[in-house]
Amino acid sequence: MSKENQTSEEIRSSGMKDDELVNKHVRLNQIKHEPTKGFLQAPLIFVFVFGCLIFVCSIQLAHTTNDFQLHPPKEIVELTPEEKEALRLDRKISSGEKIFAVRCASCHQGNGLGIAGQYPPLAGSKWATANPEIITNIILKGLKGEIVVKGETYGTSAAVNMAAVAINDREIANVVTYVRQAWGNDANEVFEDEVASTRAGSVEQQDQWTGDQLISMYPDSFSN
Amino acid sequence: MKKNPEQEIDQSARFAFSFFVASAGLWLLAAALLAYIAAAKLTDPLFLSSLEFFTYGKIKVSQANAFVYGWGGNSIFAVSLWIIARLSQSLVRGSIFLIFAGAIWNLSITFGLLGILDGHMLGHELLEMPKQVWPALLVSYLIIAFIIFVVFRSRKQKVTIAPQWFIIAALIWFPCLFLFGWSGLELNPGRGTLQSILSIWFGQNVIWLWLTPVALGCAYYIIPSVLNRPIDKYYLAVFGFWCIAGLAPWSVVHHLEGGPVPMWVPAIGTVMSIAMVFPIAVASTNFHSTAFQDVSKVWNYLPLRFVIFGTLSYTISSYIGVIFSLPAVAKLTQFSIINEFHFNQRVYGFFSMIIFGIVYHILPQITGREIGTAAKNFHFWTSALGVFALLLAYLVGGLTHGVLGQQPSLAWATVIESVKPYFLITEYAFLILGFSQLVFVLNLWKVLVPNPFASSDRQANLKTA
Repeated sequence: MSKENQTSEEIRSSGMKDDELVNKHVRLNQIKHEPTKGFLQAPLIFVFVFGCLIFVCSIQLAHTTNDFQLHPPKEIVELTPEEKEALRLDRKISSGEKIFAVRCASCHQGNGLGIAGQYPPLAGSKWATANPEIITNIILKGLKGEIVVKGETYGTSAAVNMAAVAINDREIANVVTYVRQAWGNDANEVFEDEVASTRAGSVEQQDQWTGDQLISMYPDSFSN
Repeated sequence: MKKNPEQEIDQSARFAFSFFVASAGLWLLAAALLAYIAAAKLTDPLFLSSLEFFTYGKIKVSQANAFVYGWGGNSIFAVSLWIIARLSQSLVRGSIFLIFAGAIWNLSITFGLLGILDGHMLGHELLEMPKQVWPALLVSYLIIAFIIFVVFRSRKQKVTIAPQWFIIAALIWFPCLFLFGWSGLELNPGRGTLQSILSIWFGQNVIWLWLTPVALGCAYYIIPSVLNRPIDKYYLAVFGFWCIAGLAPWSVVHHLEGGPVPMWVPAIGTVMSIAMVFPIAVASTNFHSTAFQDVSKVWNYLPLRFVIFGTLSYTISSYIGVIFSLPAVAKLTQFSIINEFHFNQRVYGFFSMIIFGIVYHILPQITGREIGTAAKNFHFWTSALGVFALLLAYLVGGLTHGVLGQQPSLAWATVIESVKPYFLITEYAFLILGFSQLVFVLNLWKVLVPNPFASSDRQANLKTA
């Protein structure tokens, strides 16, 4: 091996001069490399590898970007008054549904049918669907004694407070509207100010209502 | 006796080159000392514990800064000045400004490190030096870069080649990075998440867009120059260059995997790191298919052996880095000492090895004095051994650390106990590296500072001419 005996200096001086180095590479950049006999394979492998990488990368991105959007969609879609009204009612009813599920459904059941002999049904009950002031009053003050709902007698001598935890007018309006329109009930909507006036009208009632009291207050609702 | 143009260029660059290389060597020793202290503290927490200056956090941070800005910065100035001048075939002018700016650069780093040790550090990776030193650093950097750029502008052949792209790009990228990082982290701090993203982006990109391209440019220069054959598959180099420019800044954010940032940030980082396979493959093809056509020359010419060690290490550990950026793997390794592996692989295994090689290549040409073969060989083998031990310890230790750290049944103290042997290995590795760097600096200074009792410079120059 003759090269082993070469000193560093000899190797260095046998190297390329810098102007030559620059010019050679500039020329290399200008001429396109000519196809050699095996030239088809390398690009094909590259295309394959490229394709695989792009596939892997896009899967990776799709899994981890968490639906990222650079510009979040703006919610200024022009709605017609009818659509706005429908949207408002939808929201009110879904809010009422949540309140019902939390505060009412344990006795009256999610399907509004109550439990026979124990808890009166709300579906198809005149107490719920006739004058909204009746159900509002019941929620506000509670009920005691016996009542007759859809031909069945319910209730004991014990008083029942519907709203053991304070409930505001808006929540009452939402839940009453829900009850009056769910399970085939088809009564009109109840508004917050109506509940407020009912609440104001019932301040003198200290005790729970009795069924007879309510029937005498709203005779129209119970006459067939 | 008339000098040939290359010797004239060497003569014009000699003053500035020697200054930068000499100061780079001193910073390298400082960093080696700090690295050893930091490693020793991990195995023996009581080591130097009575001195407030030498708490682990300060030492670790000042080591990284001394290494990147002191050794990295100075050696980048030196080799880019020389390579750009040689490839442009034009003389270096304004050496006095280079020395002046270089002095400011080194003084600023000195004050910055003293500031860190005194407890005035800032909280962002590689931006820890106190804020008073940064304007001085930036101004001196701009002066140096401007002078190198002037040399580049006056080049004879107007069409540029690969080493020029990488080196000039690195010179331009660093101030851009710095201005982005500085304005987003200090002048007008972004809120919350933005800061941590910007912080990791800056800290990683100093390595990826400053140290890495310069080292790649050096390899693109020295390999064809010494082997006397053009780069094989040179047409790929331009693709590799633009891939690094486009992908590297994105890929670094994969380090935030599992962090409190929007999920798309590390996801993009992962995707871009996978795409980094292309530039790594291109650089590796260019270097190795050229170099392995003449293995005996690579082996016998020590500067080239250093450089090929660096490029091989770049290839292997960059691929390892790609694997560690995959979320499935990152889950295990994210919060372990594997991060030390990434940093040390880049700065010791890749950047420093290539710079050692290129400095050994340039020094005899500039000074006319040859460095002893035995000393160079000792430097090579100790460096290689140190780098191997260091990287293996951090790699295996990091995997152990990460995997054990995921076991809920193991106490954290038990996990740390099991990593301790690796810390001991790194301590010895840093010791070996320190010795090898000491030999490098002694080699360096021996040829740079003329012995007043020996024959004068002129005679030495005549001998080579």
